[in-house]
Amino acid sequence: MIDPTEIRKSFPIFANNPDLIYFDNAATTQKPDIVVDGICDFYKNDYSNIHRGIYDLAAITTQKYEAVRDKVATFIGAPSRENIVYTSGTTAGINLVAFAFLAPRLQAGDEVLITAMEHHANLIPWQIVCQSKGATLKTIPVNEDGSLRRDSFRSLLNNKTKMLAIVHISNATGYINPIKDMINLAHEFKVPVLVDGAQSVAHYEIDVNALDVDFFVFSGHKVFGPTGIGILYGKSEHLSRMEPLNYGGSIIKDVRFEKTTFLEPPHRFEAGTTNIAGVIGLGYAIDFINQFDKLKIQQYLKYLRNYCISNMQEIKGLRILGSIDDKNENGAIISFLLDKVHPHDVATILGVEKIAVRAGNHCTQPLMDFLELPGTSRASFSIYNTPYEVDQFVRALESIQQFFK
Amino acid sequence: MNEKLKELYKNVILEHNNNPVRFVKSETSEYIVEAYNQICGDRFKLFFDLKDGKMINASFHGFGCAISKASTSVLLSYINGKTLEEVGQTVDSFLNILDEQEEITEKITDDFEAFTAAKSFPGRAKCATLTWDELKLFLSKLEK
Ligand SMILES: Cc1ncc(COP(=O)(O)O)c(C=O)c1O
Repeated sequence: MIDPTEIRKSFPIFANNPDLIYFDNAATTQKPDIVVDGICDFYKNDYSNIHRGIYDLAAITTQKYEAVRDKVATFIGAPSRENIVYTSGTTAGINLVAFAFLAPRLQAGDEVLITAMEHHANLIPWQIVCQSKGATLKTIPVNEDGSLRRDSFRSLLNNKTKMLAIVHISNATGYINPIKDMINLAHEFKVPVLVDGAQSVAHYEIDVNALDVDFFVFSGHKVFGPTGIGILYGKSEHLSRMEPLNYGGSIIKDVRFEKTTFLEPPHRFEAGTTNIAGVIGLGYAIDFINQFDKLKIQQYLKYLRNYCISNMQEIKGLRILGSIDDKNENGAIISFLLDKVHPHDVATILGVEKIAVRAGNHCTQPLMDFLELPGTSRASFSIYNTPYEVDQFVRALESIQQFFK
Repeated sequence: MNEKLKELYKNVILEHNNNPVRFVKSETSEYIVEAYNQICGDRFKLFFDLKDGKMINASFHGFGCAISKASTSVLLSYINGKTLEEVGQTVDSFLNILDEQEEITEKITDDFEAFTAAKSFPGRAKCATLTWDELKLFLSKLEK
């Protein structure tokens, strides 16, 4: 079983802020000692640049840096370290695929398919690529509760579709897309699929091989790792046919004034000095998560979410966006509205009570427009959150509703 | 609710939030000034006509937090029927009071004073000045 009180002890932020109720885990997670100390130790003991020095220290750093690829590969079920590209985050990974993979293959009249619930990061890059090529960006609509209109998905796929890019778990509602079915169907039309796993890797077992997904992206900072590091997984058949997006040092085999040849993937996508300490930190973050059984994590977060929802339902005038049926799988996210209080006022008041939640459109403005909402307040949980915190949160909501009555 | 919060959501703000002044949509107005805060999605429109250098038939509509809505309501309570110069002065004095750097020397009316607490809340001063900033921009363009 997950023991949040025990887990909290490995997060220095809670020792330093004993009153903090951190319910903004969908935005970013807190960092455990192993990550913070690991990065610190690395800088103190092993640091140098990589792939360059001939001295021992450089060799050690390079080896540690490259070893994290294996760790990531195992973590998400990728066949090899060659499939693991270091990026600066989810956003950078999507941009890399949009501009280095899709753009050269896209022609006027083609279509790119996304869902109406995408984070701006999984919308704008495709929009820009489509605009530059005269292609059309199509969106699979959602239902009133934020779930995917599966029937529409089928009818939107056709032989003009050149890419499908979908979020695994919606950061705005917690809705989980049926990615396996979607990938299978897309592949029937020979459409490559990118899955945005920013919200899923921390809690769900990911097996890119079993999913047969073409590209999978996530950010280190949402899985207890540092900021500025992320992962792009790509199938070898795709990565090997992609040109670099950024040019410079660290990606070349041979440079002449007339012509440069590039290294094989993944290195050809990592120009310049990368976020070395970020990679090391991500490695420790994966060690941290690997202590836990993902199914136990899901079980616990489901319990916490259901507990929170059942208490929130006691509050008159509170509406929860999305599915509240506890039989449905859902991410550890509760997006909600108080009928008399704007989400920003909710977040400000909760903030004074040391309860951190997010308010606004959650970088999903088109989804909010479709749902005709100005935004929502969002509580999102992680394994260090406790039922006791939920009680305080719900009590605070009650008093807010009371105050604005 | 703690004191700091009560200070922020003073009666003035709650009252204006619940019963906003001149809160009507008027898409046929001569002038429509839209204020939008991309960070939180607050969106208000100011509607008015200009006649003999005066703002008339002023109203507002839209959606936003209690602070942005109330501050816009306070704005409306001042501007209708006023000359552009008077409106400009009111806008400047409100924005001065909300400006962190600005030392407040003038005597402040209660309805303006209510918003000063927003300064001490992260990210909330912008809510108080959202429509005021936009109106100021509009006025400066009009002068040119
Ligand atoms: C679903 C989803 N996609 C993409 C992103 C962007 O991630 P990052 O800002 O780390 O690149 C986020 C994070 O806000 C997200 O929740």
